[in-house]
Amino acid sequence: MESLDILFIVQLLIAGLLAGALYALLACGLNLVFGVMRIINVAHAELMLIGAYFAYVLYTFFGLHPLISLVIVVPVLFGLGQLMQRLFIERVVGQHELSSLILTYGLSIVLMNLGLAVFSADFKSIPVLQGSIVLGEMITIPITRSTAALVAIVITLMVYLFLKKTRLGKAIRATSEHPKVAEICGIDVVRVRMLTFGLATAMAGAAGVMLSTIYSFSPETGADFILKCFAIIIIGGMGSFSGAFAGGILLGVAEALVAGFFTTQWSEMVAYALLVLVLLIRPTGLRGIAYAR
Amino acid sequence: MRFADSSMDKHPLLTIRQLDASYGPVQVLFDIDMEVYRGEIVSIIGPNGAGKSTVIKAILNIATPCAGNITFNNREITKLPTHGVAALGIGYVPQGRIVFSNMSVEENLEMGAFLMKEHLARKVAVDKVFDQFPRLRERRRQLAGRLSGGEQQMLAIGRALMLDPTLVILDEPSLGLSPKYVDIIFEHLIALRDDGRTLLMVEQNAARALSTSDRGYALELGKNRYTGTGKELLANPAVRQMYLGGGNTLSTAPESFHENASPTACNAPTSLSPTSLSFHRTMGHTT
Repeated sequence: MESLDILFIVQLLIAGLLAGALYALLACGLNLVFGVMRIINVAHAELMLIGAYFAYVLYTFFGLHPLISLVIVVPVLFGLGQLMQRLFIERVVGQHELSSLILTYGLSIVLMNLGLAVFSADFKSIPVLQGSIVLGEMITIPITRSTAALVAIVITLMVYLFLKKTRLGKAIRATSEHPKVAEICGIDVVRVRMLTFGLATAMAGAAGVMLSTIYSFSPETGADFILKCFAIIIIGGMGSFSGAFAGGILLGVAEALVAGFFTTQWSEMVAYALLVLVLLIRPTGLRGIAYAR
Repeated sequence: MRFADSSMDKHPLLTIRQLDASYGPVQVLFDIDMEVYRGEIVSIIGPNGAGKSTVIKAILNIATPCAGNITFNNREITKLPTHGVAALGIGYVPQGRIVFSNMSVEENLEMGAFLMKEHLARKVAVDKVFDQFPRLRERRRQLAGRLSGGEQQMLAIGRALMLDPTLVILDEPSLGLSPKYVDIIFEHLIALRDDGRTLLMVEQNAARALSTSDRGYALELGKNRYTGTGKELLANPAVRQMYLGGGNTLSTAPESFHENASPTACNAPTSLSPTSLSFHRTMGHTT
């Protein structure tokens, strides 16, 4: 009995980590944008769905496996993100928060309705290889989910290293701390913001492609994800890349544990319970930046 | 060593002509004229709200002037975007020794050389600054936010030197530093001038600034009031009365680098302002 319980918990932890990796990828992009521009992109989950539908189209019409689509979707969304920054988001940088909230909320509504018009409200999914690796007797690791998680973690890690090690990545970090001083250093902050939004959009798109292999989705799926993402970046700490990663994994694991020991309905509540808990104990989040001027 | 030919070069390195600037509806600069020649230290002094920092911000195009023009090295830079100024050879040390506190000392310096695309060239430039500030070399891997106030100011100066600028502009270099570090910073400034660089600074510590400077400009309520060599200004009774003795001139507009800073009277007790907190913090580090 004892070992059965432990196996059950391990199984839940694995399921949680796999789901959490996708949350983390999505939330890291959202927090990157917030860090650099102090803008909360309400349309972030719709960007994810663009990735998902893109993969769906490539699969339906060209028979491309989503993992191959990734190679097309990520660069295209990187470009699209830069274009969106240039055309829309740049106009509200430094403005009152309400402007950016309304703008990105508007974008999310437009994108969602475009999705409804083109793809209808039906749930879509991409039936790729199903199956599981069985470890021991009890622990099963679903292949598609673990592939999705692996891709998510690799991409998140790559962006992290880009921010840590490269000249442009460091410029993004510098701009998120002090845009004016970064500018004086010769950094073109308008281009840095384009790069940032492009990166975040590409990350969201990649998350969408992987999502398409494990969930069925409709143009309205974004709503669940964006609310959870908000919770994650507050739990992890606004503006912190590593915080968003930790928060995403944490949420995935917590949801799995609650779903396993209680019911799935309850797991929908976990994000907000964690949110309240973190705000009570550590209001800046796990790795929050204290915005001392 | 000052360049022997610098006195012959009658062409100013930096010229400001009839500069007007305003924050919203409040005009803070009126018809400002200034010149800075190669190889000199020039100070802008004046009480809070006199517009000192605004002059600097106009040069860097952080504040947009409404009239007048600014030329550097015979090139009009009035409308040049801020990120283009560094490439021309102007280094800037912002007020309040702002460093990228979540980045290491070394990364801060690398940011100062952002415009150098070659990794190796950046390393060489970082090493040069480390030679000038050995203290920073010892702490190269530390987060800049963990440095003492004086060390942060050194880092901010080091960052401004990364592209080997001709002109270094400093906004209140001694603000909030312990007396020991004020001495050290001013020694560094003189060393920079002796290195052949040109310095333009805004300082509240007018006596200190003028005694270090070749020339100075005294502003009052956004207008040129007095100008002359450092010594002349120090000896001028009117200047002593207005800028060194401590009159009660009130400020007219905020001019801090921080947008949310509130204007204060020029000789309001500093113990009430946030700078004094960092002052005590710095004291704690140095003693």
